[in-house]
Amino acid sequence: MSDQPLQSDENGETSAFRRLLSSLGEPVLEVAQTIKGIFQVFGLTWYYMLKGRPRWKATVEQLHEVGNRSVLFITVTLGFLGMILIYQAGYQAERITGDLQMLGGLFLQLLLREFAPTITAMMIATRVATGMAAQIGSMVVTEQVDALRMCAAQPVDYLVVPRFIATTIMMVVLSIFAVLVAYSAGAMTAYFSFGLNVRTFVDMSFIGWFDVLLGLSKALAYGMAIPIVACHAGLNVFGGSEGVGRATTNAVVNASLAVVFLDFVISGLGYVILGLVT
Amino acid sequence: MIRVENISKRHEGRMVLKDVSMDIAEGANIGLIGPGGGGKSLILKIICGLVTPDSGNVFIDDIDVHSLGPTELADLRFRIGMLFQNYALFDFMNCADNIAFPLRQEGTHSEEEIAEAVHQALHDISLPDIGHLYPNELSGGMKKRVSFARAVIRRPPIVFYDDPTAGLDPVTSSKIFILLRKIQTELGVTSVTISHDIGGIKEICDRFVLLDQGKIIFEGDRDEIEASEIPIVKKFWHGFSDDELNV
Amino acid sequence: MSPMHKIARTFQRPLHLLGDWAMGWFHHIGGLGLLTWQVLVYLLPWKWNFDGPETWRTMYRVGVKSFPIVVVTAVLVGAIMVIQSGLYIEQYGAHGLLGWGAGYAILRSVGPILIGLMFSGRVGANNTAELGTMKVTDQIDALRALSIDPVAYLVMPRFMAMIVMMFLLVVVGNATALIGGALTSQFLLDVNMVLFFQSVVTYVLLEDLMHGLMKSVAFGFAIAIISCYFGLQTSGGAVGVGRAVNASVVGSAIALFAIDYAITYAAL
Repeated sequence: MSDQPLQSDENGETSAFRRLLSSLGEPVLEVAQTIKGIFQVFGLTWYYMLKGRPRWKATVEQLHEVGNRSVLFITVTLGFLGMILIYQAGYQAERITGDLQMLGGLFLQLLLREFAPTITAMMIATRVATGMAAQIGSMVVTEQVDALRMCAAQPVDYLVVPRFIATTIMMVVLSIFAVLVAYSAGAMTAYFSFGLNVRTFVDMSFIGWFDVLLGLSKALAYGMAIPIVACHAGLNVFGGSEGVGRATTNAVVNASLAVVFLDFVISGLGYVILGLVT
Repeated sequence: MIRVENISKRHEGRMVLKDVSMDIAEGANIGLIGPGGGGKSLILKIICGLVTPDSGNVFIDDIDVHSLGPTELADLRFRIGMLFQNYALFDFMNCADNIAFPLRQEGTHSEEEIAEAVHQALHDISLPDIGHLYPNELSGGMKKRVSFARAVIRRPPIVFYDDPTAGLDPVTSSKIFILLRKIQTELGVTSVTISHDIGGIKEICDRFVLLDQGKIIFEGDRDEIEASEIPIVKKFWHGFSDDELNV
Repeated sequence: MSPMHKIARTFQRPLHLLGDWAMGWFHHIGGLGLLTWQVLVYLLPWKWNFDGPETWRTMYRVGVKSFPIVVVTAVLVGAIMVIQSGLYIEQYGAHGLLGWGAGYAILRSVGPILIGLMFSGRVGANNTAELGTMKVTDQIDALRALSIDPVAYLVMPRFMAMIVMMFLLVVVGNATALIGGALTSQFLLDVNMVLFFQSVVTYVLLEDLMHGLMKSVAFGFAIAIISCYFGLQTSGGAVGVGRAVNASVVGSAIALFAIDYAITYAAL
């Protein structure tokens, strides 16, 4: 929302043309402002991470919050994902080629390249980003953030940096965990539904350095983007409980969009790089 | 000591403060009164540099608050204590850590000194045994007192109280005002108190400012406000009005 | 405390936690079941009870608000799927299969689930926040005091609007995802987009499209019930609203994957 009210012309009425312009411009401005704010928080986070003193206790707490407390959630969702993908792929492979030998190897490759980091990140964007925005947002509306600043503690230093470090580390760890979960669930589905031997299914021959690197760089990028977007939403709350609700919604939407966008960029780059290398 | 010059602030398309100027002399105890939404809390936040005004300047000891960088602003804030309206106690720390937080941030005190100071502070607010409790385990009055202890733990020369008795029963309110009185006589602070409790601030303040719809309507000492003929001042000070039915 | 007592307590602790956890889950499952029941009863022709104009307004809000996000997500998802398929197609030189690989994945599974997650974030979270704020500011009790049934007045319009709009948004999302995929294949992979669309039309079956659309209706149903339930359950001020939104999106994500699995399993 812009701070300035609609400009009025001489008659004190807003003209239809002006209204049209402002209705077109306002969302654009809003998006631009959000992106600018997110990059500001990102820059400040790096500044305080490199210059400020480390906060081990807070970081460990956040590692627990982001990592340990997401394990069950990731297990359930990625487990289902593994089963769904193998069902769909196995069904198609049976229909078209009738050959399931390559199913496991290709599945592992696809998990590494795309699904494990991205879907994990979507889940973290759901669970962790809303949590962060809600927590920081309610600190803003109860004036705790103002109190931090009055005690000469910078909110970004104090609140964002531990979350940033914890989420970046945990995103990589959880992505690896997600590969294991989804792959095991897939192996079980392949065994019970298509009678595919687990030994045939576990096939690492397709995996190369490229797949691992692509998956890890995605996980790292998501891990940095999600906490920044979520904390930005939390720090920009205004108004009471309504504002906190709005911030959590913004956090999950913006974080998910950031994940999808980064996925597109990194996948595209990966494709171009692979083309150059081979 | 504190000079506020021509502050204007717009919030969500509405002018909350319109060209407000005031002077707060060293050692003065200002009572800031006025109807809700009149911009009282906002003025305090602008003075501390928590909110940037659209126009105007704030000087504390001739330092322009809004021209400072983060580090200098932090140094300035070491000299200001603030009691927030919603307690603003950190809910992820227990009370002792909350009170110790400003001292820890300064980074120049040893842990023993801090522990001693916290012990003394808890004793001063007559809640000696609640150091290990978390804010959500306390009643409203206790939270206010802990928040008060945190605000003055550094012995700041300037203290702001944003509605110190909001939502408290009369007995607890009077306890809070006794505390405020005590800190004033002990430290000789400069203070600004926002309150709707006229009986309470009559006791602790020597100058009064009435703010309505973003403008200062009245400014003066106790005798002047007693004698004022401005209707809204009378309404606030004496708690009644002649045109009650027309409001 | 005696040492025996201490040992006993240590052993009891995990059981205690497990019990707490189970109680919490069963509480929520029961509550969700009850709300579903109430909603279904109001759908019966002779108990037909919901606010018509409010439903239209909610549909407009739900649909228009999430339209840009769904379009952006869908275009990107289409592009990503084409890139991922492209990595294989390149390997085997089977350019004619690009549309099949990407189209099948988008229409049948990835499209609905990613759009569903976005929808849950945008509309579901917003809905929980809105109802939660009404709850903590006693507006729900005020409705009850005016003898207006909150389920009929607040939940039914949202329920209808979310199912209809989720379905329509997946239709729109499928189309834009294919367009995004076609553009990517043209400009990044150098595969003619006519070839891409031919491949989609030749190999992707109508059944695949219907399968995805069926999922979208089920997703809309689940997100509506879950987000309304957690909104109406909110307590404890601003902190509570944040917690409710968190619970709502986590619950929706789990429900989405579980439903996706169930439908995939049932369809084969």
